[in-house]
Amino acid sequence: MTKATTFTEAEATICVTAKMIQNEHDKSYWVGGGGTPLASALLAQKVYVPNLTLILEDGVIAPQPAIPLDPWMVFVAAKPNYRANAWTNMNTVCSHAALGLFDYGILLSLQTDPYGNINSSFLGGDFLHPERRFGGAGGANEIASMCWRTILHCPQEKRKFVKKIDFITSPGYLDGSPHARQKAGLPRNTGPYRVITPEAVFGFDEKTHYMKLLALAEWVEVNDVLEKMEFEPMIATKLERLACPTEEELQVLRVNVDPYGTAIGEGKWITV
Amino acid sequence: MEILDSGTGELFQKPDPDAHRAYLREHRSHALTSKVMTEQEAVNKYVQDGDYLCYDCTMLMRGPSSLVREIIRQKKKNLGVGGRFTYMIINLLVAAGCVNRIDIGYIGVGNALKRAFDEGIKVSEWSNSAITMRLLAGSLGIPFIPIRFLGGTDAFHHSAAKLAKDPWNNKEIVLVPALNPNVSLIHVHQCDIYGNARIYGPSVSPVEMAASSKKVIISTEEIIDNEYIRRDPGRTTIPYYLVDAVVEAPFGAHPGEVAGRYNADIERINEIAGAGADPTGKAMNDYLEKYVYSVNNHLEYIDQRVGLERLLKLQQAMKIKQGYE
Repeated sequence: MTKATTFTEAEATICVTAKMIQNEHDKSYWVGGGGTPLASALLAQKVYVPNLTLILEDGVIAPQPAIPLDPWMVFVAAKPNYRANAWTNMNTVCSHAALGLFDYGILLSLQTDPYGNINSSFLGGDFLHPERRFGGAGGANEIASMCWRTILHCPQEKRKFVKKIDFITSPGYLDGSPHARQKAGLPRNTGPYRVITPEAVFGFDEKTHYMKLLALAEWVEVNDVLEKMEFEPMIATKLERLACPTEEELQVLRVNVDPYGTAIGEGKWITV
Repeated sequence: MEILDSGTGELFQKPDPDAHRAYLREHRSHALTSKVMTEQEAVNKYVQDGDYLCYDCTMLMRGPSSLVREIIRQKKKNLGVGGRFTYMIINLLVAAGCVNRIDIGYIGVGNALKRAFDEGIKVSEWSNSAITMRLLAGSLGIPFIPIRFLGGTDAFHHSAAKLAKDPWNNKEIVLVPALNPNVSLIHVHQCDIYGNARIYGPSVSPVEMAASSKKVIISTEEIIDNEYIRRDPGRTTIPYYLVDAVVEAPFGAHPGEVAGRYNADIERINEIAGAGADPTGKAMNDYLEKYVYSVNNHLEYIDQRVGLERLLKLQQAMKIKQGYE
């Protein structure tokens, strides 16, 4: 494995996530939408875990998608559904999640707060008069509610890591209080597990459920990351360093997984 | 049952299982009789102004695109929409002035919708599966269903869901009301004249949606003989007495894909997305004029606005057949 020297922010996020999937290769992954979450799963499948248990929101169970997927076409289409173990529907996989069969959810977040709550509804204004309206929960609410552990993707930007998000579309630890999730009717012992940005990986404190910096990319220091957050996270006593993307990962990602650059083109270029 | 919290979102379609049973008894044919009709007849007869509308899938994938174009052509008004997993259809319907209320699961937000928000279109917030679970309850003939998600969020607070104490375990549980749409649209691979429909591949919630709806219009790539249905009954996705109208619509999902049959027409999909991005709304009006109003029906659309060469290319581009035949 050759360490890569130039890649995009999205590629950094995707490669860190794919390596996490490699380490937990016998778990199930319910992936929301397309973008970096799906690209991470497809990269992991192509490079590390050919038998990956990948679940798509439209009820596709453990496919081996015919990549590259066409632009737009991540659901109910022949290529993403290819060579699945079962074709079901949205309610079926939703009920499988309710049964506790899905270990990890992977989601993209528009905006998040110290407790890992997710906004994908609107920015600015209020509910009836949003300045910028977005699509809504989609399948993210059910993924964030019912998978045992949720992994969030979020760009490392001050406006993305805010003290209070404009709208809680999908649940993190809500107000962080003990048992807040189960008091709201959500399954117990679930919640956000990691937040992955191009520059860092965060977890959550076991007692307070407050976001905690766990690891840094090799090209940044703690302050570089804190400057790009509106709130100050807790910081682990011993910070890990994240592995850089490898040339092998990038080649598969750029040639096979996402040649149109719909997911990997996001964010700035990084040279190390 | 103790209610701990209630969402403040408007409930656009109040569940009433007995009224629904009575409606189906009076209006739905339970017999094996032909329901084949043109899209003009089906939409004219079964989509009324003010109806609450649901559709399976999207204009990208096995969506009922030809029926949606006919609804726009007939200038239906004040429709409610169960907007889960929808990108372009919701924008076209809103741009054409057909919609006055939306339950949001996921909507692709274009400028038509943005203007609709500015003008105060009524919305309630849910999630994709919250809406499909509501349809499941509707399909079971029950008034509500408990779910293990949605709780604790602002989406809950802007929905019409409730948080209750489970009467047996005394634990908190979210309840969502059943959804029984007035009318549902489903595009399928194959269907016979009675409405026995076959869908190949995964889907959003067509079976629950058909069973929960007062009126169901099926459009189908091809009409097959009932003999084929009877020879392989396990293949029937939706049985006939859940269906009111069967419309033959080859390439009916265009510009979307029908898995196993033809690829999506990405250029034409980008044309909708591009039109939706024009803040003045002119490009979207031009789109509707060119592809909807200026043709009389789906056959004219595929003949004059798509053309044989393009259709054949989309057909040839679909290389994956396994599982779809």
